[in-house]
This record gives sequence, structure tokens and C-alpha cells, in this order.
Amino acid sequence: MAEMWISMGPQHPMTHGLWTLKVKVDGETITDADPELGYLHRSVEKMGERRKYFMNTTLTDRLCYASSTTWTHCYVQTVEELMNVEVPERAKYIRTIMLELQRLASHLMWAGAYMPDLGHITGALYFWRDRELFLNLLEVPSGSRLLYNYIRIGGIKRDLPDGFEEKTERVLKLFEQRLDEYSDLFENSKIFRMRTEDVGKFTAAQAQNLGITGPNLRGCGTKFDLRKSDTYEIYDEIDWDIQTREAGPGYSDCFSRYMVRIDEMKESVKIIRECFKKMPKGPTLASTIPVRAQGEAFRRTEDSRGEALMYVVGDGSDRPYRWKIKSPMFTTISASPHYLKGYKVADIPAIMGSIDICIGETDK
Amino acid sequence: MDIKELMQKLSARKGVSNVSLIRNNVVKFDLGKDSSKEFFLELKNDYGFEHCSLITAIDNQPEFELVYHFTVVNKSVTVGQSDMSVMAEIHIYLDRDTPTIDSISDLWGGANWHEREAFDMMGIYFVGHPDLRRVLLPEGFAGHPLRKDYVYEIHEEEW
Repeated sequence: MAEMWISMGPQHPMTHGLWTLKVKVDGETITDADPELGYLHRSVEKMGERRKYFMNTTLTDRLCYASSTTWTHCYVQTVEELMNVEVPERAKYIRTIMLELQRLASHLMWAGAYMPDLGHITGALYFWRDRELFLNLLEVPSGSRLLYNYIRIGGIKRDLPDGFEEKTERVLKLFEQRLDEYSDLFENSKIFRMRTEDVGKFTAAQAQNLGITGPNLRGCGTKFDLRKSDTYEIYDEIDWDIQTREAGPGYSDCFSRYMVRIDEMKESVKIIRECFKKMPKGPTLASTIPVRAQGEAFRRTEDSRGEALMYVVGDGSDRPYRWKIKSPMFTTISASPHYLKGYKVADIPAIMGSIDICIGETDK
Repeated sequence: MDIKELMQKLSARKGVSNVSLIRNNVVKFDLGKDSSKEFFLELKNDYGFEHCSLITAIDNQPEFELVYHFTVVNKSVTVGQSDMSVMAEIHIYLDRDTPTIDSISDLWGGANWHEREAFDMMGIYFVGHPDLRRVLLPEGFAGHPLRKDYVYEIHEEEW
């Protein structure tokens, strides 16, 4: 049959953000793909060079609309490393709580977006109902629903308000019950498994070489999580495990990538509970925070989507000389021809949905 | 292999200089441009750096600087008994007149788009890259906006 190129996007229900996936098809079978980005490019790196260090946290919040705290945190950590700022112990605990609440909200956002891709609109409503619970929680200390600007260089904006622990506990209890319901709804659903199992496979070795990180890599059975292997904040003092899943020996499919995120949400609940138990009293912002910085520093953190890395060079002034952002999704999308080839056109939403795309951070 | 052993081996190698350690798990060093491809092949096959985390291009005026970050995922290099993952931070300096270097996207698939981005934003040419196009900016965009000598007026005239 004659081969042809089909353009999916920039306006297409599969894309979740503005980007184009060109696929070469032979009948219904995908023979090649060419993803195209840049529709959402805001030149964050260039803008950052003209702003002072502390101003850039508003930009980093806008890198990913589903997971803004994790990006601000990555930037703040890098600048703290550059400026040698020591963060108070209580601020570290509160940061960890906020990061995990954000991870839960982000994974729920993903799960809710994934279900309509598979034709399951009810799933979207269920998951987004729960996401709203966590957004409400994040709103309590920070004051906004999506773009928090809560984590600051040297600590956090303000301490947690009274009664936050009880509120969180109420939500976590409800959420745990709901997760059990969802395992009946989705994991045990024959239709869901038919759409996701044995689709979009890649091996662990392939994933590592192609730069795929985060839950997508852990879905191949690789035990690699930067919260443990390049630990930050207080993740090393808390008792938790890296969650991995495999579809078969050393490879992943859409279902294993779905399951690893569900497991991760359960683990996040555990981390939040333990943080509240161990949290000390004390200040939440460092007493002196420098304005200027000289030298270079980089930090990587485990974003909800994989390895987030920022590299900042300071020239002694109050603005960064060069600020580089590594987005995990940038490389994961670049690898898409490798895991799309050989599958049918109808599998594209199932495969591209399962890797959790966020175009805001990818296009910068 | 322990990270100390890796540092010793790197210090003895030709073309590598200024080997230092950051935060116990990152080996930082400078590399000569000419033998870079051979070295990267060694880094991948002999030392087991499976994952290319990031390629950053910096305009140091006048020269360009490339910073490569590589990660060990499967623990072929370790920090003592700990779980920490080892990274390599490699600095390569390029002349402003000839900003070219051998592409490594055939060794690490993940480096492909990082090189495209460095070309797009900073105008570094990667020799042997399979598809060196702009990745974030539109086709036909004039200049490389992250260079320090980029003039905004060029952009306005074009549009």
C-alpha cells in the first residue's frame, strides 16, 4: 500500500498541548514519526538572563502548569547551591510535603487526561475530582490554585497554617479509599487492559540510551529515582521505596507505565504522612540570602515526569549569566519514533498519553 | 568501579584536565575538542555512562563552552556503598570562528535533540548529526538568540 505522512496536531485531541506529531503510515501501520515542537516557546532561558535571581521563580512556576512546584523547587535548589544558602530544617520538611502533594496532583492530572484518550470520559471526571482535593490543599498555604510561587530561595514563603495537617489527613484517607475503587474500575477492566497491554513497548536499555527517565523508565523495571540516588531535602531520612513495574523482563508497555504512577501515588501518601510526624519546629526562611552569585552550579530533581536538571552560571552580578533548563519530556518526545513504529494509528493516543506529556516545560 | 578509581583513570588520560569532584558524586573535568569523540565512546562503553542528561552551550565571549552531563544508571560506577548515582560534567571550549564539534547522537539517542537545541539557540554545529534543524524556533528565524551578541532589531526587521 502507498505510504503517506499524516499530521496530528497542533490542534488534535491526542496532543495535550500544542505540538505536532507527523506520522508516516503504511495502511494503518506506523512506519516512521517526526515530532515537532516550538508552538509554546516563550524563551524562558533568555528572559531569565534579564531578571534577578529571585524574580525567576515566577517564570519557573509557568514551566509546567500541571506541576509548577517541582520546577520552582529545582531552580531554587540550583540557586541555593550557587549561593551556598543553608535552608532551615522545617522548611525542608514543608518543601517535601508540597512536592509530594504536587506530584499527586500532577499524576492525577495525567491519569485524568489519559482516560479520554482511551475513550473513557468517566475516568477523567473521577481523577480530576480527586485532583481538585489536592489543589485545594496546595492553595491553603500558598494562596493560589495552580501557580504557587511558594518555594523561595532560602526557604518557603510562609509557614503552614493551623489545621493543615488534619485537613491533609482527611484528604489522604479519602484518596486511599478512592484508589482502591479505581483499581477495580481500571486495572480489572478488560477493555482498559486490551487498549494498554503490549502497546508502546520499549526496553530499559533503549530507554536509558534515548534519555527517557522518571516513571517511564521505572515502568521498565529500572530502580532509578533521583529522590534516592541524588537525594535532596529530607528524602533520605524518610522511609519509602522506589516503585517499579515491568510488562516483561526489562521492558515496559502502556499498562506498566500506568501502574507505576498509581504505585507512586500510594508512596507519596506515605511520604507526606511521615513528614508530618517528623517535622520539627523552627524558622522557615534562611536569615541571610545573598543577591549576587558567582560561579556555576547544577542540581537535578525527580520531577513528576522524570529527571529535571537546571544549570546556572553566575558572573558576579544579580542576574544569571546563563540558565539552562533540562526538561525530561523534551528527550522523551524526541524518542517517540522508536516506540511508535510498528503499532497502529489507533494506538497513538494510548502510547503518547501514557508517557505524560507536558508541553510547557518542553518548549520552555 | 569506585568514583575515586574513575577519577584516577581520567586524570591519567590524554586530553583530560582539571579533574575535580562536586558533592561526592559528580566528576567534573575539561576535555580537548579534537579527541572528544574517541573519549565519549570510551565513556559510554568502558565506564558505563548510559544516559546523556544534558548538553548546554554557553557564550563566554569570545569563546563558546559546551557542558555535557552524563549519568550512570545501572551502578557501573559507585560512591562507596551508597545508592548515589554518579555523574560526569565535561567542559569543552570552542573557538568563536569555528563552533563545530563531533556529534554524539549516534552514541546516545537522547543527545539528538539537545544538540539540535544547542544549534538552534547558540549556533553550534555538530558534525555528523543526522538531522541538524531548528527545534524550538521557527524555520527561517535569523540568528541564534542565546548568543550574547544577538541583536533584537534583526528579529523585528525580519517579521
